[in-house]
Formats: sequence, structure tokens, C-alpha cells
Amino acid sequence: MTKPFRTLTWLIAVLCSNPAIAKEKLTVLTAYHEDVVSRYETAFEQAYPDIDLAVIWKMPHDALPYLSRPQQSGVDVYWSASLRNFLALKQQGAWQKLGIDRGGLADKLGAMPLIDSDGYFCVTEMAGYGFAVNPDYLQKHNLELPKTWQDLADARYQGHLALPIPSRVGFAPMMIDSVLQQYGWDQGWALLSGIVANTRLVESGATFITDIVGSGERGIAPSIDFFTASAIANGAPLRFIHSQPTAYSPAHIAIAKASQHSDAARRFVNFILSETGQKLLFHPDIRKLPARAAVYADKPGNYFDPFAESAEHPVVYDPNRALPRLALNNALFDRLFTDRLQRLQNLWQQLRKHQRFAKTDQVERLLKIRQLLTAVPINTAQAETPSVQQIFTDRSTDKKAEAAAQALEQAWRNEIDSRYSDAENLLKQLEP
Amino acid sequence: MQQLISNPAKIFRHFGVQALLAKQAKLSPLAYIHAGGACTPALNNSRKLIFSIVLGLSCAWASTVQAGSGFETADASREAYSRINPDASPEQLAEAFRGRGVFRQSWVIAPAKDIETAGLGPLYNQLSCLSCHPKNGRGQPPATPQQAMRSMLIRLSLPGQDPHGGPLPHPVYGGQLNEQGIPGVPGEGMVSVDYREHKVTLADGETVALRTPSYRFAELQYGPLPDGIQFSPRVGPPVFGLGLLEAVDGQTILQLAEKGKQQGVHGHPNIVWDDERQRNAIGRFGLKANVATLKQQIAGAFIGDMGITSSLHPEENCTGIQTACKQTPSARQPELDDAQLKSVLLYLRLLQVPARRNTGDPAVRQGERLFDALGCTACHTPALTTGEFPELPPLAKQTIHPYTDLLVHDMGEGLEDRRPDFQAGGREWRTPPLWGIGLIERINEHSYFLHDGRARNLTEAVLWHGGEALPSKQRFAGLSADERLAVIRFLESL
Repeated sequence: MTKPFRTLTWLIAVLCSNPAIAKEKLTVLTAYHEDVVSRYETAFEQAYPDIDLAVIWKMPHDALPYLSRPQQSGVDVYWSASLRNFLALKQQGAWQKLGIDRGGLADKLGAMPLIDSDGYFCVTEMAGYGFAVNPDYLQKHNLELPKTWQDLADARYQGHLALPIPSRVGFAPMMIDSVLQQYGWDQGWALLSGIVANTRLVESGATFITDIVGSGERGIAPSIDFFTASAIANGAPLRFIHSQPTAYSPAHIAIAKASQHSDAARRFVNFILSETGQKLLFHPDIRKLPARAAVYADKPGNYFDPFAESAEHPVVYDPNRALPRLALNNALFDRLFTDRLQRLQNLWQQLRKHQRFAKTDQVERLLKIRQLLTAVPINTAQAETPSVQQIFTDRSTDKKAEAAAQALEQAWRNEIDSRYSDAENLLKQLEP
Repeated sequence: MQQLISNPAKIFRHFGVQALLAKQAKLSPLAYIHAGGACTPALNNSRKLIFSIVLGLSCAWASTVQAGSGFETADASREAYSRINPDASPEQLAEAFRGRGVFRQSWVIAPAKDIETAGLGPLYNQLSCLSCHPKNGRGQPPATPQQAMRSMLIRLSLPGQDPHGGPLPHPVYGGQLNEQGIPGVPGEGMVSVDYREHKVTLADGETVALRTPSYRFAELQYGPLPDGIQFSPRVGPPVFGLGLLEAVDGQTILQLAEKGKQQGVHGHPNIVWDDERQRNAIGRFGLKANVATLKQQIAGAFIGDMGITSSLHPEENCTGIQTACKQTPSARQPELDDAQLKSVLLYLRLLQVPARRNTGDPAVRQGERLFDALGCTACHTPALTTGEFPELPPLAKQTIHPYTDLLVHDMGEGLEDRRPDFQAGGREWRTPPLWGIGLIERINEHSYFLHDGRARNLTEAVLWHGGEALPSKQRFAGLSADERLAVIRFLESL
């Protein structure tokens, strides 16, 4: 090709004001990170060049009012890891039935439903809870890999853990509740008390938690898997151990009732759930767990397979059950642990010291001290009472609820302080 | 291995007492803190943690290559463009982490509870800095004409100049086509890109296909573009090492222009309007060196690409007839506050540059010699020394290896965009820095180069060189296949 002709070709930049073939616009509301969104945008566009995909990004607390506006703010599809929003909007009648072919998609993973009972929304992917681990750190400190939450409460892990505070870190409330569901209310809180005894509490999110473990500042950090899995896929010398049995945080997808582009919306949902869409989750920058079991046949090496895992350790955690009490759990965690971390850790440290050299006549007293450190000021029946749960759920928007929550918390504080004081007195009596 | 920093002691001097004490104790700052050095009590736990984390990560995730300094990382993983200088003070690291958060976050449409992330649009291209600079690296052009531009954009202007000599924005579409609009505000239009290939035959008979892009504007929502419209496609470039380039003083750039003339190239600095200081200045950022400072480059991208106002750009990016755009309230004023802008600035200034790899490989060494012999180093200057830099003193007096002279050069009509930008003509482009270029494929999962991503690999990128780079290109085309491969191996080692 001659140079002038090439120049002419370059000049064929057609500037026209008339629309070419008008595409159908599909608006998707999500809270996924750009790494996820950009890959799905590109792949969907390749599969459906006739659909113009517009993505709006909103955090769950903004997404709910946005989708509650007239015409649902023009949103066609909601795609996010916020089960609470999907349920609240279902109550509002905000969804249309998905009406998709679910061939190859399971309806449950152990106790966890993968589709809404009425077919309004379904799971698109999951993130598993477990422990981010720095193997070099563990080797240096002669520590074994933990497998269960119970392992983390062992005295040998004292000073080696970092745990996110559930009232501050978005993924943590469900993770904490998964312990309560797995071990039961009383035993679960007792276990958490032992874990907190070994822990530095952190207020920042999963990236920071992965940083803490990666840097060797702590060796183990309970977390959600994809941050660490992505760091590993990008070269970080870490491991992620899914707890046994594993609990999952699911992400869902739904089609807005007011959507004017239902067919395009359905195509988007189908694409997300298709083999192509599900395999995108394997990307090193994403590392979420597909909801379509068959795609794990093509998973990268060492990729966690929740369906295979569930066959060995059936899932017991149901996020639907967790939602009503998450706010209560958060408040209780803070009053029990966050507010009194140093005091609690000192008590545990002394208790463990005495346990190592306990004489027979001290056993009963030590058990009493342990019970004082692990008891909770609200029993399971009270914690399951909807009116009590609602107080904590509504406290940020309702002054009366806030006052009621504060009154309950004060009662808890009094009880906790009294128990810790008793424990301190009993420990003093054990001193020679 | 070439050393990026010639004077590491300077870093310690400027990055805090504890680092200096650590140096005196012949310990790393981390080791010093952990050893219970005298400075330890001065740091609270969170500061110590941040300090430790960055150091730890830098060490833990490094590959076998040893980095030369705090501004260079031996990490060659997919995180190599995202490493922060570990020698920074705890306060600086904390601020840089905040800047990293701002850089990575997706911006939301107002109103929103999280006011610090609200203010996207009303017109915009993408909703996050990462969209155009994925993993702090390079964007890419769409793969097909049907695909939207996800990490590139189109600059627009009319013939003529603005009052300061810059491009004259289109009265309706402004200086950049914003393809997206928030709900209720129509995006300005779409651009599709298509390619036509032609073959170039090299001296040894090998043929290489080069692709010429053509652009089609469609769905223009605010009326047609005039026949004389000037437009320039731009792929998002990498964002590491920018602080070091900013610290190269103007005199050095002028001297490089003089030196180039003696070597037969006529690059010149682009003298641009420094809006913050209200005077002309040497441009060094942007693909035509059309922005004077990194702060202005950042603020310009926030308003131009995402519709986020700042103290430097307090008005939303709406023009007169874009009524829906104008009627949309801002999230707050400004949407990116000064503390956020400052944190992003510090984050980018503290990003490390990947160290060279495989420097002992005979092919790499041969390629490096050829790169010089071909005349490439006349513009892709291998070594520069930064000047005084009071805004962040550790960046001062450093010997760096960016492979750019920060000048604009005539690159020939093949790369011409016909859109002058201050003193950079349509055929002129700033010599792009080459440091870290060898990791693009690993980190960004593509190998598209040049301002519009038309080159599909480094060989194509070299063969697109024209204008005053034509003799070097011709010499490259005259090499044997092995020699050309050696040049590419050298580039891959950067």
C-alpha cells in the first residue's frame, strides 16, 4: 500500500451524527470491583454485540434506596453480594421471576440455598470463609496449619492471629455468624472468646488483612477467600485454608420488575450463569467460586471446589438464617471483645498459665474462670427473638431503637464486667 | 545491574529518623523496629504495622532479582506496578494507602451515603482510575468494532487554540468524548475502531503486518461533529514512576533537547500552560507532554474521564447545551477533596519502578548494544538524573532509567493525529518511558502498544516509528531476525 493511500485510509474516520444500528441499552447495578466488572462487560459485549451494557456501581446501603425509587431508577438487573437487599426488595415486589433454564445449576449447597424459594433471584457465585495463612510464618513459629475454628482457639496460636471486627469490616459479620451456626450460640461465643484471646483485632478490610499476613505481622487471619486467593494467583507466597465445614457468602442476581429490557436482562443473567460467564471467575484477579458445578472440571490448579468439599464436609451455614441477627451479633462482639480486648487477653493468658500447672484441687476453679470468660450476657432464645434483633437492625435509623439498644448494651456491659472481675478475683486466689 | 537510585542515603535522610537510625545500625528499618531500636516508642502500633507491611510485602513478594533502591522493585509478579516505596515514612505510607484506595475505588452516582466516593459524571468515560490503568499498567483498544472503549478515550478539539495555546475544545462536546452518562444524562456518543492491515517487508524477507485504525463516531447525542473536528485516540498509559519523571528538572530536559540536535534528532519540550501556577511551563505528562505537573494530570483525569470535580476543576464537565448534565447537582464541592487528591498524588509518586530482569542474558546484552547502535537511545534516553524536588525530597538527585527524554518528537505521518496540543504538532508525541514495558504482557495480559494501541507487539511498535525516528526504524528493519529478536529481548528485560 502506498503512503498516500495509507494516509487516506487513516482519514477514513467517519464522523456521522446519525446513530448506526441502535443497540438495546441494559442497565446493571452492581457493587463488584472494577476487576470483575470490566471482564464481564467485555465478555458480554463480545457475546451480545447488540446490547449496550451500562453498569452503575453502588454499595449495598445505597443500592436499596436506589432500587426502591420509581421505575427502580431504570435498573434492569441487580447483581451483588447483598442477600439482605435481595430479600428486602423481594418483599417490595421489586423482582420479576427469573424464568431461566437452570439446567446444570444446583438448588442447594448443603444447607445453603442457591436459588430463592420463589425463583426471584439466584446465586451467581460464592466466596468461602477460612484462614489466610503465611506458611513461612507458621514454619518459623512451629505452628501447624489450622483446619477448623476450634483449632484457632488453641493456646499455641496466642499472638499469631488477626481477626476483623465484624462491626467494621463488611464480610466479617456473616463469617462470625457461621461460627455460631456451626457450633451453636453458647459454644460458638465461647470459641470466639478463645480465638480473640489469640488475636489482634483489625478494623480494615480484606486487602489489609491479606497484607498483615503477607508481611508476616501475623501468621493467620480468618477472612474471605478471594482476596487472598487473588493475591496468591498474583504471586504472594500465602495459602488459604477453607474452614471445615466451609461457610459461604453468596452473590445473587435478579431482574427488576420495572425493567423495559427483560429479554436483554434475561440474556445477561443467562450469560453470568453460563459456562463462559462462570469460568471468568477463575481469573487471577477475581478468584470467586462458580455456582455451576460443572465448570470446576476446568478449574486452575489448587482451586477450591465447594461442591467437592461439601461432599466431604456438608455445608451447615445458611446465610438466610444469619441476616436477622447480624446487627445484634456485631454489638455483642464489640461489647464482649472489642471494648475489653486487653483485659480479656490478660485473663486468658493467666488462665492458660494456671492450666498448664494446675493441681487437682484447682481444676474446678479454673473451669469456673473459663466459664466466666466464655459466657455471653444474652442466651440463644433471647438472641433469636425478632423484636430484640430488630432493635439492633434499626438502631442507626430509629432513635427509639438506638435507646433500647444502648440500654441492653449497658446491661451487657455490667454483666461482662462483673464476670471479668469475678474471674480476676479467682485468678488472684490461685497466685501463690 | 543498573542502579535506579544513586544516593540511597538521601532517602533515609528524608524519610524519617527511624530509617536513618536503622541505617546507622546497619539494619533494615523493619529489622530495626523489631529489634527494639530507640525509635520504636515513637511509633504507635498502627504506624509500625503499616511500615512493616510495606517492607514485608516488598521483601516477601520479590523475585530473585535484587532491586537497587526504594524506588525500584525486584518484584516481577502481576503486582509489580503496584508496589509502594517501602522507605517512605509511616505517615507517608498511610497517606499513600489512602491514595491507593481512592485510585482503586469505583465512583458512584450521587446521592450516596459514602460521600467520599460519590460524584461520578454526569458525563464520564469510566468509573474508576483502574479502568484505564488496569493494575497500574496499560489499557488496550477494543478487540472488535462492536466493542466499547473500556480503557481508551478520544480527545476532541476544533482547529485553533485556546487563550493559553492549548487545544480549542468543541463548544458542545468539550475536549473529550464522554461515552457514558449517569441515568437521565445521555452519554455523548460511541466510537468504534476498525483496522486495515498492510504488510511491511523487512530486509531479510520477513513480512510484518501492521494495522491502521479508523474510527467511527455513532449515536452522537448532542448533534453532529463538524468536518474539521480534530480527534486523537489515547490508550491509558502505565502510572508508575511518574514522581521520578516529575522530579527531572526543566534544565535537564532543555539540555536533552540540545544534545538531541547534535545527534540529529530535533525533539523539543512542549511548553504548556500551568493552570495552577498561572504561567507557562515544560509539559511532561500526557502522551503529548501536554500537562505540566502530576497533580494537574491527576485532577484532569478525574474531571475528564470520570466527571469528578476537584479544587483544580471545580465545575462539572458539562457544556452549554448539555442541559440535563448542567441540571445534575454535584455530590459535593469539590467531589474529590484536596486531601484525597493529595493522597493520590503521593501514592503515584511513591510507586516503585520494576527493576530490570535477565540482564546477564547474552541476547539481552546484545539487544541493549543494538538499541544504542540503532540510534534509539537518542530519544529513549537510558539514564536521567532528577533535580531538586522540595515537594518530596527523596525523589531528588536520583539516577533513573526511564528510557525517555520527556521531549516531543516528529514520529511521522503514520502516527499523526492531526490534533496539535500546545507546541506538540499532530505528528509529534512525547517519547514514552520504556521502563517496565517488559512486564506489560504478564500484568495486563496483552501486548498492545503506541498511543492508540494499534501495535500488537513490540516489533510492530518499532516499525510504526517514522519522522525523525525513521532512520532508526530502517536500521532495525535491516537487522537479521536474530538481531531483531535480541532488541526485543532487551526491551522485554526493562
